[in-house]
Formats: sequence, C-alpha cells, structure tokens
Amino acid sequence: MNKELEHSFVELLEKHQNIIHKVCRIYTNNYDAHNDLFQEITIQLWKAYPKFRGDAKFSTWMYRVGLNTAITLYRKSKRTINTQDFNGVEYKIKAEHYDDTEEQQLKILYKAVHQLNDIEKALVFLYLEDKDYREISETLGISEVNARVKMNRIKTKLKTILNP
Amino acid sequence: MDELDLLKKDWNKDDKNYPKLTYNEIYKMILKKSSSIVKWIFIISLLEFVFWAFISLLLKDTESIKRFEQLDADSVFIPLAVIGYAILAFFFYLFFRNYRKISTTDNAKVLMENILKTRKTVKQYVAFNLIYLVVATLAALFVELDQDQLIIAQIEQASANGEVFKFYAMFIIVAFLFLALGIGVLLLFYWLVYGILLKHLNRNYKELKRLEI
Repeated sequence: MNKELEHSFVELLEKHQNIIHKVCRIYTNNYDAHNDLFQEITIQLWKAYPKFRGDAKFSTWMYRVGLNTAITLYRKSKRTINTQDFNGVEYKIKAEHYDDTEEQQLKILYKAVHQLNDIEKALVFLYLEDKDYREISETLGISEVNARVKMNRIKTKLKTILNP
Repeated sequence: MDELDLLKKDWNKDDKNYPKLTYNEIYKMILKKSSSIVKWIFIISLLEFVFWAFISLLLKDTESIKRFEQLDADSVFIPLAVIGYAILAFFFYLFFRNYRKISTTDNAKVLMENILKTRKTVKQYVAFNLIYLVVATLAALFVELDQDQLIIAQIEQASANGEVFKFYAMFIIVAFLFLALGIGVLLLFYWLVYGILLKHLNRNYKELKRLEI
C-alpha cells in the first residue's frame, strides 16, 4: 500500500471517526472493549479501502463496514465477556435542560438498548443515525418491509423493558 | 414522543463526548493485525488442508503400507490416490474462490452467507476425507485378508483351531474401533472449532433469516 493511500485514509478516518465511536458505543459496554472494536473496525476499513470507490459516500461506506465488523467479524475479547454492566462506561448523558427524570430515563434507555441482540442493535443504531428504511434494509440485507416491522417490534420491546 | 426519539435527540447532540483520536493514533492502528473471525477461519481451513495432506503422507511411510505396496493392489490404490489428489485440488480451488468473495462492503446477510459458504467447503472436504478414510481402510482390509501371507497364515492357524469366526470378528472390531476413535476425535475438534468460532455469526445469521419469514 502506498503512502498516499495511507495518508488519505487516515485523514478521512480522523474526520469521520465519530461513526466508529458510535458503533462501539452501541456494541460494547466498557472502555477496553470500545477500543478493541474501534481498532478492528479501523483495520477492516483500511483493508477494504483500496476497493473504496468515490461513488459511495465515505461515511455510508463506513457504516456498512463498521456494522459488519461488529455483527460478524469481531471476536469479542475475553475481557468484554464478563462485563455486562453498562455503568462502567462513562458516556455523559446530557439532557437539554437539567432534568433529572429525563436524564434518568435516558440512562435506562441506553441500558435497555444494550440488552437487545446484535441485529436489533444495528437497526437501532441506523435509526438513531437518521438512516431511512431503504438504507437500513440495504445495509442488513433484509427487505424494507421487514426492516419496518422489526423496528416496530424493537420499539415495543424497549417499552416492555422500560415499563415491566 | 416515543422512547427511541428521546434517545435520538440525545444521541445526536452527544458528538463531543467521544474520544478524539489523533492522526498518529489512527495511523498506528492500521499497522496492527486483524483478529477477525475471517482471519481465523482462513488459518484453520488451511491447517485442515495441511493436516489431511500430512496424514496421507504419514500413512504412506508406515511399515504396513510399505508391506502393502508389495501386494498386488495397484488396481485399487492408484485410482484411489488419483481421486484423492484431484478432489483435494478441487476443494482447494472452491475454498479460495469462496474466500475471495468475502467482502466487508457487502450487506450483512451476504457477508455472513459467504463466510458460511467458505466454511462449508472445508467441511465438505473433511467429510469427503472421512468417507475416503473409511473406504480406503475397508479396501486395505480386504486386500490384506485376501493377499497378505502373514494374515493368511493366521487365518489358517485359526481355522485349524476352529476359531475362524473369532478371528474375523476380532479383526473387524479392531478396525472399527480405530476408525470410530479417529472420527470421534475429529468430530470433537469440529464441534469445538465451530462452537467457539461461529457461534456469534450463526446466531446473528439465524436472526436475520428469521426476519425474512
């Protein structure tokens, strides 16, 4: 791989790194696991980069490789298996106005999302990233109708987790 | 407002809270080695091909096979060997073709299918080898019983003692036990490799398939 390619890749990734951090946020629940997954996604992106054509947006392409790595390629390292506790992660959750109930609710919501399975997490992630159902269905390889149905089921599932 | 929209509102204003890696930190990352399951599948698959090639070489060198080669069994063993190598080449080709198809830029379902297909090739190759092993062992036993002077002498001895049936029974039981042991060890190995390596993938693949029903 030549230096120019390396340079353009690292520069693009530096700019768009939040996408990977967000994937890690959905799929991992502690600092080490976050870094581990971040590392693997970066490697997978780099490996796929020579085939990256400018016709796809770099960020769109990142979503796909990032989620594929999290769902399919990534082998959870040992240290992530035993930590189910979301409290270990120090993401600051800020409510618009300081509102104790809203903050509390968000905390519980994030915890509930972590209880979903990998595929459900992917749907939630793309939904949170404001992707439409066409893009969700194309990323996962399911039909648009099924993506919608699944999303509604997830919403119900989250409601049940939140209001048992 | 439903729960997810509340989350969405928070999610999108959260950008500043993520770690910010520098150019150099990212650069260091791309120099590191991947530990993805695809890499492990590739290594394990290659090891399986090597293992079976090694087994056949190992068997070639043993005393009994050398003794065997003196027997008139070329008509059985040369075709068996040719078929064995041709099929190895065929599976190796299939494996590489499937492996090269694995691409992280495919959609999740296609990616999973391609990985599973690659594994399936290797699995079929191993199944073929097990069948081959059984057939070759049976053929070898047949030739031994038919031609090997040492065994023929033993059979004659046994029949003189009226123990022909016992002799055959022992012969078959020992051969069967060895085959069963070999196959058992391999299946255990498989169960472990699959259990560990593909559990995660299989679970997610099933979930995606379930969505399509």
